[in-house]
Amino acid sequence: MANLVRTRERRETMATRVRVLAVIVGVCLAVVAGAYWVVQGVHGPEYRELADNNRLRRFPIRAPRGIVFDRDGRPLAENVPSYNLLLEPDTSINVDKSLDFAAAILDTEPQQLRELLVAHRRERPVEPALIAENLTLAQVARFELAALEHPEFEVDVQQLRLYRHREQTAHVLGYLAEAGPGDLATGSYKRGDLIGRRGVESQFEGALRGADGERVVVVDSRGRAVDEFRRNAPRAGTNLQLAIDLDLQQTAQRMLQDKVGAVVALDPRNGAILAMASAPSYDPNLFARRLRPDDWVRLQTDPLHPLQNRSVQNALSPGSTFKIVMGLAGLSEHVVTPDTRFFCPGSAVFYNRRFRCWKPEGHGSVDLRLAIKHSCDVYFYNVGQRLGIERIARYARLFGFGSITGVDVPGEKAGLVPDAAWSQRTRKGPWYPGETISVAIGQGPLLVTPLQMAVMMAAVANGGRRPTPHVAETGGPGRAMAQGIPDWAWRPVREGLQAVVDSGTGHASYVPGLEIGGKTGTVQVVAQHTRIKANQMAFEQRDHAWFVSFAPVDDPQLVVAVFIEHGGAGSQAAAPVAKGIYEEFLKKRPDLRAAPPT
Amino acid sequence: MRSSSRSGPISGLLRLPEEAATAGIGRLGNVRWSLLLVALMLAVVGAATVHSASAEMPVEYLGRQLAWVGAGLIVFLVVFSIDYQRLALLALPLYASGVALLVLVLFFGQVRGGARSWFGFGPLGVQPSEVAKLATAILLAQYLAGREGEYLRPREIFVAVGIVLLPMGLIVVEPDLGGALMFMPMLAAMVLVAGVRKRDLVVAAAAALVVAAIGWGFMHGYQRDRVLTFLNPQRDPLGAGYQVRQSKIAVGSGELAGRGYMQGTQSQLRFLPARHTDYIFAVLAEEWGFLGVAFVLLLFGSFLFGCAEVAARARDRLGMLLAVGFFATFAFHILYNTGMVVGLAPNSGIPLPFLSYGGSFMLFCFAAAGLVLGVDFRRYVNR
Repeated sequence: MANLVRTRERRETMATRVRVLAVIVGVCLAVVAGAYWVVQGVHGPEYRELADNNRLRRFPIRAPRGIVFDRDGRPLAENVPSYNLLLEPDTSINVDKSLDFAAAILDTEPQQLRELLVAHRRERPVEPALIAENLTLAQVARFELAALEHPEFEVDVQQLRLYRHREQTAHVLGYLAEAGPGDLATGSYKRGDLIGRRGVESQFEGALRGADGERVVVVDSRGRAVDEFRRNAPRAGTNLQLAIDLDLQQTAQRMLQDKVGAVVALDPRNGAILAMASAPSYDPNLFARRLRPDDWVRLQTDPLHPLQNRSVQNALSPGSTFKIVMGLAGLSEHVVTPDTRFFCPGSAVFYNRRFRCWKPEGHGSVDLRLAIKHSCDVYFYNVGQRLGIERIARYARLFGFGSITGVDVPGEKAGLVPDAAWSQRTRKGPWYPGETISVAIGQGPLLVTPLQMAVMMAAVANGGRRPTPHVAETGGPGRAMAQGIPDWAWRPVREGLQAVVDSGTGHASYVPGLEIGGKTGTVQVVAQHTRIKANQMAFEQRDHAWFVSFAPVDDPQLVVAVFIEHGGAGSQAAAPVAKGIYEEFLKKRPDLRAAPPT
Repeated sequence: MRSSSRSGPISGLLRLPEEAATAGIGRLGNVRWSLLLVALMLAVVGAATVHSASAEMPVEYLGRQLAWVGAGLIVFLVVFSIDYQRLALLALPLYASGVALLVLVLFFGQVRGGARSWFGFGPLGVQPSEVAKLATAILLAQYLAGREGEYLRPREIFVAVGIVLLPMGLIVVEPDLGGALMFMPMLAAMVLVAGVRKRDLVVAAAAALVVAAIGWGFMHGYQRDRVLTFLNPQRDPLGAGYQVRQSKIAVGSGELAGRGYMQGTQSQLRFLPARHTDYIFAVLAEEWGFLGVAFVLLLFGSFLFGCAEVAARARDRLGMLLAVGFFATFAFHILYNTGMVVGLAPNSGIPLPFLSYGGSFMLFCFAAAGLVLGVDFRRYVNR
């Protein structure tokens, strides 16, 4: 019986243990239920979004960007199809094998593709990774053939921006680059969008861009589209016609080859910019390729700043070209008449300091025409002394110096027109009369851009109407200059300018059959006490060269402003560049060629 | 005192008076039939979910699953009708056959899911590990029921462990770590209920840790991956973490009320792997939401408590240990699988009882249910 009791007790003990086990299992089951509640009840919406991310793929439908044409309808910036390779690593069964497969077709190292993939995953973990651009059609075909075994690859057709004329139109057009953090912050750009930088691409971004569409498809776990969820059509960008004349533009850029500088050619009647060249230049097509950061670094660190548009972003002393403004100001203010003469012995003393003329032996007795023709410094020292800095500054501003021209090219600089107030404000000191003498020949603190120079020349060519320059074909007529320059004052100055080209310092720009008025300028970079030839000096110590001009003198239709950085004398370095452009212009406008002298 | 199964006259004295009153007549009415009802409800839910899960598959699994459920019912009836005490007499030969099958499968079996674990008969297949599990449970219960002491002696624990370790080892070799692991809860629960000294328990736990550490050294690369991925799911989201992540997304996206039957995007668009077998519960969670999950978990809970109740009121140690063994096996399958689907446990090939598609395991579950209800049915038998 004792055994029986013991057995029964044992059975009860065991039953208790079973119940304890059951309670433990029950608690575990409750914990599991709790976990489902957390995942489904609490975080459900997040997981539902993840599920939608799984099944919905958004493909932007890129709006074709507006094509940019020159004035004759020749395309300058257009779109060509480019085949890019995208990799969706989630779809890949074995990423290493996928990369090996792709590397064999692309003829590259798997490791290189892996680095691109890793970099992409870090930045944009959910999007397919761009691992190759510009596939050949043969490569595209091989990826398409392997689509069943390698569904993780997708060949994506993108419209690639093509700048057919590469370096020749770089500064006018600008380029496209991937939208940066600042652009993304505006909310109108997504990661991976391209945005216009510099030039027309930037200025007319809103019109050129259009609006991207979107295709949302339902995909299965292999990435195969099983259904279309939604589609929004894109809106194409607006095409843009420029005032630029491709032939003149190419000529201008060619004339600047191996030089550092800028050329602006515009129609003085309406401000239409026919050519805007800057050297050294760059190939804007490089930026459309997204996988080449080394080119960007190289362009950024180039000491000659090829990205800079020197036509509008370089502000420098105008040198002797400023004598045009000085002559007109002197006449208008009646400090000289067209026949007033000054004697040039090679130098003159003002305010107890000797100022040299560029010609040591002197020009002798010169009136305004001769002073312009030979660019006599002493004549204009005298004009400058009689005018004083305030009146000089007023006339300089009248011609547009010291403020932006309003051109539709981004990044324009205003330059500087100094006066006493400027001196007090910026230098915290008085304006010295001796500085006025320097400014009279375009030296000193006065700074102008090549485009401002062209606009000034357009005003001179027009008899005072100063146009607003523009590269897009939308400019209006120039504004009339209200105050100031009497009609009779233009003629002697223009005669002087024509003499410059016919037989003066600008003769290197002489084109038979075309009457050109122009003015050279040479800007000293370092003070020279002994005169040595330009080619014997270090590049960065050589003078800057200017040449500004218009033609035909009687019915001006083209203004050409040339600036050559460290080119030496304006007569030798800048004037021949203008000559090349006038010759090209005459080819297009043979009607402007004057009848040969009989 | 020996186990009652061996000494009929004495065992009659063991019966409690109130039980004696109902003995013999109307016994079928006192069996906990709700256990079978719940199992069938689960099987119906499972078949419906398998239908949804295989909608996008080349094979429609609904018909096969229903056939397996039907076969399971027959197996249930056969096992239910066999007296477990008679079965226990055959424990050793059954066990030997199970082990022999496990050895044979290593040489003649088919490889499925990376493990050589199947005997194929045309389109059908049998997993000998499920047969071995049944046989092992019977031998283990029979052996432990025969121990006399209040607590098991260390030597007896060693024998119990040995009984389980032999088939386990053979399954590990296949290699099917998850399948082998399913022997452990049975062993632990039976030994615990049979009685272990605290001191021995501590030593056993320590020994288990050491074995686990050594086992880690013998693990296959993918098995280690699974464990490491479980510990840190971000470790390899594209590789071993894929299943876990997709499963969790499926479960979570079901939210409260579910996406609707056959409407789960994770299942229907094939993001969810093994969705008709090991991850069937993720399909259910996605399409029926937390309400469906709670309903099925309640069914499982009532099933498990039914098993525990049968064990607690079993007539003898053998019946009690048998029922406890299967209770623990079911509990572990259910907890591990549902936990794995929601990301609480590492990915492993452990199916969900009555829901997951799969013939052998379905038959095992019905056989186990038959054994458990057979124990309940015979709690009043006077022999």
